[in-house]
Amino acid sequence: MTAFRHAVRAEVRKLLGLPTAWLGLAAGTLLAPAIVLLNAPYTRRAIADGTIADPSDLGLQDLGIGLIGPMVLGVVIVSSEYTSTGPDAPRARQLTATLTAMPGRLRLLAAKAAALILVAAAQAALVATAVLTLTQVLLGGHVPVPAPARIAAAVLYWVLTALLAYAVTLITRNGVVPLTFLIVNSTVVSVSYLLTKVTDLAVYLPDIVGAQMFIRTADFPVRVAPVTAGLVMTGWVAVLLAVGAALFHRRDA
Amino acid sequence: MTALHAELRKLVTLPSLRLTALLTLAATALLAYASAAAGQRSGLGPLGYTQAGFLVFGALAAASEHQGGEQVRATLLSMPRRLPLYGAKTLTLAAVAAPFAAAVAATSTVPAGEAGRAPAATAYLTLTTLLAAAAGTLLRRAEAAVVLLLAGYFVAFPLLRDRWGAALPDTAALDPSRGTAASLAWTACALLAAGAVFHRRDA
Repeated sequence: MTAFRHAVRAEVRKLLGLPTAWLGLAAGTLLAPAIVLLNAPYTRRAIADGTIADPSDLGLQDLGIGLIGPMVLGVVIVSSEYTSTGPDAPRARQLTATLTAMPGRLRLLAAKAAALILVAAAQAALVATAVLTLTQVLLGGHVPVPAPARIAAAVLYWVLTALLAYAVTLITRNGVVPLTFLIVNSTVVSVSYLLTKVTDLAVYLPDIVGAQMFIRTADFPVRVAPVTAGLVMTGWVAVLLAVGAALFHRRDA
Repeated sequence: MTALHAELRKLVTLPSLRLTALLTLAATALLAYASAAAGQRSGLGPLGYTQAGFLVFGALAAASEHQGGEQVRATLLSMPRRLPLYGAKTLTLAAVAAPFAAAVAATSTVPAGEAGRAPAATAYLTLTTLLAAAAGTLLRRAEAAVVLLLAGYFVAFPLLRDRWGAALPDTAALDPSRGTAASLAWTACALLAAGAVFHRRDA
């Protein structure tokens, strides 16, 4: 157990030593509160004249802006192992050193996942606190405080998104492709959302179904109960992680 | 002339750029088909998403010099004057990005019967590529540049558009009459900043 704790601590330190991870931490933490702050007068007017009919989701909805944070963390914790380490050893990759220190590949993946969950959950808790507090201060009276279970679900969504990015990068072994795909698909009108207009089945795509754990007012063709939604998203993450882990276990480093 | 020729050969032989161009073109064709099937008649709609390909293209083109074996040291040994080198880099990237942008713009606009909007879209996408390359030069890491650019273009800017639209670099993608000046200004400033940093900073 102590060995595993050391491995997790090592992975947290490696993750927090990456400049790109810090970019993800900064962007993911600051974007959502900053945009809530900048748009507050506009949002207040929209509530007043009825453009936003049901404001009860406002704070939780705005958390989605920061999802770029867990996506970047999940991607770079893997892709950093595969990029070249520096000009003095052009072909060397960090993964060689990592596997020399921790030859058990599945244990290494478990340690990485644990480190990622710790960092992503901490970031999620921080952003949720900041955004919900700001929403209460700026728009209080219009927006009710969400139930603790819904806030917990939003934090869970955040952590599952990080694990999803982690699993996809284990499969691609390259950071730019999953990053581009995930971030482009996290926009206000995402590709997944457009697909829900084409087929009802798209409601079960991980990003759409996961949001139903805590969002109530979005216009999806099928409503999924929060617990079912959580289970479906966890299922997606579990399957992708299993594929990623199997590949990482079998493939040449 | 030699510098231009060398930079051109370096760009067109990068496998990651070819892959990015192919994926972007395929995604544009797919989205153009899907939006036509869904009855949406905006030729610029698919470009809102696939401009991500141009951001990646520019970032990879610039950051490739600084990753792996740090090719930039060899480049600077053979071409020590940095500002002309940076000018050559920018010109060649524009020359490579323009046909790619024209192909993507045509794929997006022609099926919607808006071929007249293709030239403006081509110019916009080329400018976007240059802006992304400036970010790649400044950050020297492809992943970091991609994160920063996508965070702006796909997360922050859409949410700020209602109030600050005329000042954002990507408003021109939706509404060329309103955002062209901002696009030009952002790209020019980014290129100047990147050129100055490339000139001053240790390689």
